[in-house]
Amino acid sequence: MEQAVKNTFNQGAARAAADYQNARRRYTVDPITRLEGHGKIDIFLNGAGDVERAYLQVPELRGFEVFSLGRPAEDMPQITSRICGVCPTAHHMAATKALDDLYQVQPTSAARKIRELVYNTFMLEDHALHVYVLGGPDFIVGPDAPAAQRNIVGVIQKVGVEVGKKVISMRRRLRTMIAYFGGKVVHPVLGLPGGVSKALAPAELAGMKEIARDGLEFAQFTNQVFHDIVLKNPDYVKLITSADFTHKTYYMGLVDEKNRVNFYDGLIRVVDPSGKEFAKFPVRQYRDFVAEHVEPWSYMKFCYLKPLGWQGFDESPKSSVYAVAPLARLNVADAMATPLAQKAAEEYFATLGGKPVHHTLANHWARVVEMIQAAETIVALLDDPEITSPDVRVIPTAKPNLGCGVVEAPRGTLFHHYETDDNGLITKANMIVATQNNAARIAMSVEKAAKGLIHGGNVSEGLLNMVEMAFRAYDPCLGCATHSLPGHVPLSVNLYGPDHRLVRQLVQD
Amino acid sequence: MVPITDLSASLCRTDAPAAESRRRPRLVLGLGNDILRDDAIGLRVVRELHDRLPPDSDTDVLETSEMGLALLDLVVGYRELFIVDAVQTGRAEPGHLHEFAGDTLQRLPRISPHVLGVGEMLAAGRELGLAMPERVRIFAIEVADPFTLDTELTPALQAALPRVTARVLAALGAVSWMRLARADPATS
Repeated sequence: MEQAVKNTFNQGAARAAADYQNARRRYTVDPITRLEGHGKIDIFLNGAGDVERAYLQVPELRGFEVFSLGRPAEDMPQITSRICGVCPTAHHMAATKALDDLYQVQPTSAARKIRELVYNTFMLEDHALHVYVLGGPDFIVGPDAPAAQRNIVGVIQKVGVEVGKKVISMRRRLRTMIAYFGGKVVHPVLGLPGGVSKALAPAELAGMKEIARDGLEFAQFTNQVFHDIVLKNPDYVKLITSADFTHKTYYMGLVDEKNRVNFYDGLIRVVDPSGKEFAKFPVRQYRDFVAEHVEPWSYMKFCYLKPLGWQGFDESPKSSVYAVAPLARLNVADAMATPLAQKAAEEYFATLGGKPVHHTLANHWARVVEMIQAAETIVALLDDPEITSPDVRVIPTAKPNLGCGVVEAPRGTLFHHYETDDNGLITKANMIVATQNNAARIAMSVEKAAKGLIHGGNVSEGLLNMVEMAFRAYDPCLGCATHSLPGHVPLSVNLYGPDHRLVRQLVQD
Repeated sequence: MVPITDLSASLCRTDAPAAESRRRPRLVLGLGNDILRDDAIGLRVVRELHDRLPPDSDTDVLETSEMGLALLDLVVGYRELFIVDAVQTGRAEPGHLHEFAGDTLQRLPRISPHVLGVGEMLAAGRELGLAMPERVRIFAIEVADPFTLDTELTPALQAALPRVTARVLAALGAVSWMRLARADPATS
């Protein structure tokens, strides 16, 4: 490149960086916007007072790479699982798989099965939490129910105390299984490069099989609850399929060798908005397909499909926005991996107008379908005689250099990427978490809800509720510092005028 | 380069198993994440408490990174519950201690975007007829930075640690302010 061109380019880049820094600075120092709660939504209005752009801001996790530098790579499954109390097992497993790759070693067959057993157990209990507790208020209690009832107590009142107890006890028992292998649920100590740290003692098998049987029954029961409460109500189905909650985007998720849904392993498959395969690649190539876009007024990074280039928050055929999580996983796969889940998925697609399903709120239903697959997989793994094999470790001998790992976290595709020196000490660490993969589509959903409710600078009643429903379906992981004011996580909406000055702030009661 | 700390050091007394039949007098529960800078303040406070409570105390001290519904298993069976946690309201100086009685959490807001709050967890437990604590007190410490991966508190929180610990201890009625002040070089 010629020197003059290079200089111009560098000056431009420096200006852009300075502008971005200014925008960021303004964010942090503005006393009104200091509230870094869980869901902060920024809405930018145009001159006419209509919505130009809306974002969901998520507290940014800082310092991951700095914290990791110089540490032994083997610590990463522990460190990353401690970042977040919501999906510790997902981080633990993605990190463990990155270590396999780093040390070029495959876990033994029994070790892989134990990992899959633990992982599917985690998926089942985490999905159950969302279906009943986090998403439950929207569907089990109902989108039109009074605000005072749209909470966990409302869910219990609707399904009954006995069912409530069943949910609590099922989750606890599933977590006991995870704890058997990992020591603890929040900070598991299980995954090692080339295997796992603990085999399944034959004496434990009967007890686990009982939990697995109950887990499968519980998943089917949940499917029934969803049917009775949601699908038998035409208003709910209308809401799920309404244009307000629909975006035609690309989808991404892991599939096995038969293109079936897999949470633990496989190739990453991407389908286009018509459902046609756009790409299928191993995790090592993730940087060829996933890139991150930064907007000047947000510190969020929005993932997009790199081969298509960033085309804006757009759902036209040229858009490069994609989604992950249950809706996406079902869309990218040709089938579910287990029979009962497959049956449930067939009904799901038949009811919602065929594959791919573009309705964001269908995530809630897809989550129930996935619970069935997870439960069936647990049963099958425990019926496999190899599950109690003591052969659970291959000692790595190769020199480490670079390792990538991927799993389907409950909230979507999760990438871990480490590089080390010859001694296995981290020199580079990167993660792309599910909510980042989903960020652009979440922003589109929030924006659509805002556009429908803000006109000429006037904000309609119910804005917070609609906006919340729009992003809650994704089950976004809103930052990893999870403790806000006890019992009260404020959702705030900031409205900015055309000059990007704050004109109004709404805070959820 | 950040100091490499031993991450296993704090693993020894966390996350007790559920005991539904248990009926113990009192639990002090520290919540937080010990590698997210100030988010660890709740854990740090209860660690201090653990070291200072008399061995024959009827108070159990527990730190956990669990949250939401998973906390139910930990608190069921206790008559009294003290929760120590980090909070960021943006309306107080870092280090400020917010205190709440548990019954002020009776009013349930709509559900949080992602994680079940403590108030909701308590309400859910009562609704299910579980043996929930009769008295709940919450100590929430205003934090400066709960979003950076680090094992050290920010200076404001580091400075607040002895004062907050003293206040929680005083609330527990276990040790007088004076005795504590002498025991803690940071406050003398």
